[in-house]
Amino acid sequence: MKGSWKSKLTSGLFVLPYLLCFGVFLLYPLVSGLVLSLQNNDMLGTHEFVGFKNYKDIFTPGTYVHDSFVRGLWGTLKFVVYSVPVLIAVGLALALLVGALTAKARGLFRTVFFLPYAISATVMATIWMRVFDTDSGFLNLMLDRLHIHRSQHIGWFTDTPWVWIALVASTVWWTIGFNMMLFINGLNEVPEELYEAAKIDGASAWQRLIRITLPSIKNVTAVVLIMTVIASFNVFAQPNLMTRGGPGFETNVMLMKVFDVAYGQHQGGAASAMAILLGLIMMAVSAILYRLMFRKEAS
Amino acid sequence: MGAKTKQALLLLVAVLLGVIFIVPVIWMVTISLKSDVEAFLPSLSFIPNEPTLINYTDALKGGALDVPILRWINNSLLVSVVGTVLVLAVDALAAYGLARLDVPFKKLLVPLFLSTLMIPGIIWFVPQYVLFQDLGLIGTYHAFYLPFTGSAFGVFLLYQFFRGFPKELEEAAYIDGANKWRIFQSVLLPSSKSILSTLAVLTFMGIFNDYIWPFYASGGDDRMQTLTSGIAVMTQGSYVNAPNKLMALSTIAAIPVLIVFLLAQKSIVRGITQSGIK
Repeated sequence: MKGSWKSKLTSGLFVLPYLLCFGVFLLYPLVSGLVLSLQNNDMLGTHEFVGFKNYKDIFTPGTYVHDSFVRGLWGTLKFVVYSVPVLIAVGLALALLVGALTAKARGLFRTVFFLPYAISATVMATIWMRVFDTDSGFLNLMLDRLHIHRSQHIGWFTDTPWVWIALVASTVWWTIGFNMMLFINGLNEVPEELYEAAKIDGASAWQRLIRITLPSIKNVTAVVLIMTVIASFNVFAQPNLMTRGGPGFETNVMLMKVFDVAYGQHQGGAASAMAILLGLIMMAVSAILYRLMFRKEAS
Repeated sequence: MGAKTKQALLLLVAVLLGVIFIVPVIWMVTISLKSDVEAFLPSLSFIPNEPTLINYTDALKGGALDVPILRWINNSLLVSVVGTVLVLAVDALAAYGLARLDVPFKKLLVPLFLSTLMIPGIIWFVPQYVLFQDLGLIGTYHAFYLPFTGSAFGVFLLYQFFRGFPKELEEAAYIDGANKWRIFQSVLLPSSKSILSTLAVLTFMGIFNDYIWPFYASGGDDRMQTLTSGIAVMTQGSYVNAPNKLMALSTIAAIPVLIVFLLAQKSIVRGITQSGIK
């Protein structure tokens, strides 16, 4: 029965529905994105082929798309650099903390730290806009109460570097549970005997962390790092809803710019070219990180 | 330092951090219970002077806030449920076929599907919009859930699971004369309830919480927003000056996902474990 064309046909039918969905809603947009980037497309139905003009424009100083691309890339890169180390370190720290608690407390705190992950971007933003509000936000009122910065409120969304601190803090709160869960998974895989042997040798908790835990969870760390870098490159909701890209152009991130060029400027082709370039940058960074992480392991 | 003191210290740190994680959510509920006047008084109290449910009743009456909230709730639930059912159906069929059956070009299809997991979604976002525009589907419900059916994530998750499934059960059923469909239905599916519920929960949360796609897929029609994208519209509009109303709506929007999350926490954790990230 197996191997016959009839069997292959009926087997193929199982994959067919997904294959259609994949082809129409993912592969086609992916390929047409490449085509779109070679077009002048007003997103309203008219388009013409223009070759590599959109890419040329992106690299020509003075054009709207060039300014958008540079500002967007700069904002996104800043967010990546500021957020990734914090998201990794805090994720690992929470995983270690949860792991060190008694079994009863462990489940509770895992839930508490993971909970904000279930909240949507918009609810997250409405909450943190009330926390970071300059005049009546929770945080500034709290600082008043503690007699810190009494003469002048911190402009969490209107001044640098506060705006980045606010964006990273709200991002940590919103997404850290996921990194923590991955680290908890990884820590569970570290053989208990390693720790016991180290204890007998008289290694301190810090030495055990550096010499046993960190090397043992290298693979998980690599995955978390790459996933976090990708997620941070995709940053959009936090600046779009909370800071609107301000102050000035400070927190203008690439995705905001792609949407602005596509839907605000009606230049679908240029937006697509920007998206593709961002995608290439992301894939290159992931590939470099991947090689760095695993070459170190090999040596 | 004794083991007990150490435990107590760790617990103290955990409680302090836990408070920081929970306070913003409680603050949301606090503001949602404030009257229009009180919402603007600077106060750090978690209990409003005169707690009121008026923001909730206003919101649920619909129209009182000048936005069709009931319609948004309806849109959100509708597209999340339809999308989840569709994703589950097409993904389970495909994953079973690829993991267990002699599907033609299997060696080509699996890496093709999986490689798309590494491509950033922004690349196909705008072209997807153009596609739905060409199909005349912008501003319809179909535009909201159909894109989710293309994602390879669920196929990947179920494929991993089905591959580890013991062959003996299937073979016994084949000998009994069952066909592939019967085996899928009566052997595979009943044994995969936990992984299927994991995918269901993650997909439901993903669709319900997504706001960028529905924001544009609605075609700018206020009545075609989801609860999530609708709140985004409101934060950009005049409701910035009505934090209590916005918070009531946010609380309403957060409740369904938080309930799903708390009920399904175990299966989400399992899903993360089974995704094979180690």
